[in-house]
Amino acid sequence: MNTTVFALTLRQIAGQRRILVVGLVATLAPIGLALIYGAGSFDDPLDWTSNTLLDSIVVRVVLPLACLLVGTSAMGTEIEDGTAVYLLSKPLPRREIVFAKAAAAILVAAAFLLPATALAPQLSLEGAGGEGLVPGFLVATALGICAYTMIFVLLSVATSRPLVFGLGYVFIWEGLLGDLFTGTRYLSIRQYCLGIADGISTVSDRVFAAELNGAIALALMLAVIAGATALATRSLARFELRAED
Amino acid sequence: MDESVRTDAAAVELDAVSRWYGNVVAVNEISFKLGSGITALLGPNGAGKSTVLHMMAGFLRASRGTVRVLGQPAFANPEIYRSVGLVPEREAVYSFLSGYDFVLTMAKLHRLKDPEAAARRAIQTVDMEQFEKRKTGGYSKGMKQRIKVAAGIVHEPSVLLLDEPFNGMDPAQRLQMMDLLRKMAAQGKTIVVSSHILEEVEQLAGNIVVIVAGRLAASGDFRAIRRLMTERPYSFTVRSSDNRGLAVALLGDDSVFGVELNGERLTVRTAQFSEFVRAAPRVARASGITIRELVPADESLESVFSYLVNR
Repeated sequence: MNTTVFALTLRQIAGQRRILVVGLVATLAPIGLALIYGAGSFDDPLDWTSNTLLDSIVVRVVLPLACLLVGTSAMGTEIEDGTAVYLLSKPLPRREIVFAKAAAAILVAAAFLLPATALAPQLSLEGAGGEGLVPGFLVATALGICAYTMIFVLLSVATSRPLVFGLGYVFIWEGLLGDLFTGTRYLSIRQYCLGIADGISTVSDRVFAAELNGAIALALMLAVIAGATALATRSLARFELRAED
Repeated sequence: MDESVRTDAAAVELDAVSRWYGNVVAVNEISFKLGSGITALLGPNGAGKSTVLHMMAGFLRASRGTVRVLGQPAFANPEIYRSVGLVPEREAVYSFLSGYDFVLTMAKLHRLKDPEAAARRAIQTVDMEQFEKRKTGGYSKGMKQRIKVAAGIVHEPSVLLLDEPFNGMDPAQRLQMMDLLRKMAAQGKTIVVSSHILEEVEQLAGNIVVIVAGRLAASGDFRAIRRLMTERPYSFTVRSSDNRGLAVALLGDDSVFGVELNGERLTVRTAQFSEFVRAAPRVARASGITIRELVPADESLESVFSYLVNR
């Protein structure tokens, strides 16, 4: 791994105020909601924790949006303001640049998301048995971070409007079409996350059931990560400056 | 016109290169070779200079034709950056880094053996030691240009490409930068500078490549091209108390070879700029006519270039 690119990218990401805001929201939203839930009367904490907190809030909303902002900051901002030229005019294999950039973004996204994913369920479950829900969702979220971040790094390199395309993808593909057409479950990172979490946890199917089998979800998730990495490397190798004249 | 600026071992070679964006042709069938020394890529804004420079730098693919740098294809070939340095036009640098850290980062990305020493040397070359600890975000335009040059030369490239390097520099910085580029050229390096300002290039480059509207308008020795420019016909727009009378009187003068009356305006064509400027008031006075205005009609660089193209 190219530590120079990695360290440079960490500083680039850390220097952006919007990232700090995203980090706060990503960390505090699930924890805050879990606290509110925990303070009230609850009939089935396991159901709420798995379906509402971890699926609807963490995996469906917070995970993709945090990755979108961090992933596009890792490369997209640099391409937009022209500083990418300094990185690209170096005799470095493009794979090395993509790896180091993605690794920095994944690290930042994980620092925001994983503590919240681990902590929030403890608050809403209030000592009730989690039945492997937390480790399941931790693994799923960690892999989800890798997949989403790679996709957004790819969008940053391959398109001129990564944020717009990224938002469209998150809300329309992952958010809307996934509910309307069951066939898209094979092509949805949210469904891969749920499948992996379900595969690891021992929660009864009556409470929480994913549409994909755990092993299939894992295989598809890894394939998406590998595919997005390869495509991002390829795009960066053929990267063209947007000319101004 | 001489197609090849210098024929000794071409460091940069464009062969029938075109580049288009959709239906818009930005660069049209350009061929030239550049050897060591300073070459200016000259042309009005929007002529395609940046496109040509970006193709040389490997950041744009030629739609047709080949661009080679040091014998290797320029596009999608990161290996060329071992011997090619690039100073981009855009001002943005990593604003959160100090000048020294910026140049050091570039040295490390080049995997130089002693990046610290290389960074110090490059910063010294552009005379920025006293500001190296400051964050580049707080630099003036001229300081940014110099630190960008330090970043571009930290690995001592044999080909250095600079996109509008004098933008934002004050006259003293400009002279210093020219000096630096001349020194590098004297070491046998190939330096390409793009510019839209003729005067700036005149003091610097022996060779020029003139690009107008995406086409190669002229290339070769600066003085030869300059001569083409000065020997061209000039037009003046004149307003006087009696345009018609003045037109007749001026036609009798040797320096004038054409007049054109157009309502309030009289256009006079001459091949001898300074002779005409001296003759016009004399002729007018002799005929009892008052000249109210005498303006060169086409002194902009654009008209000089379009003259070269239409020749």
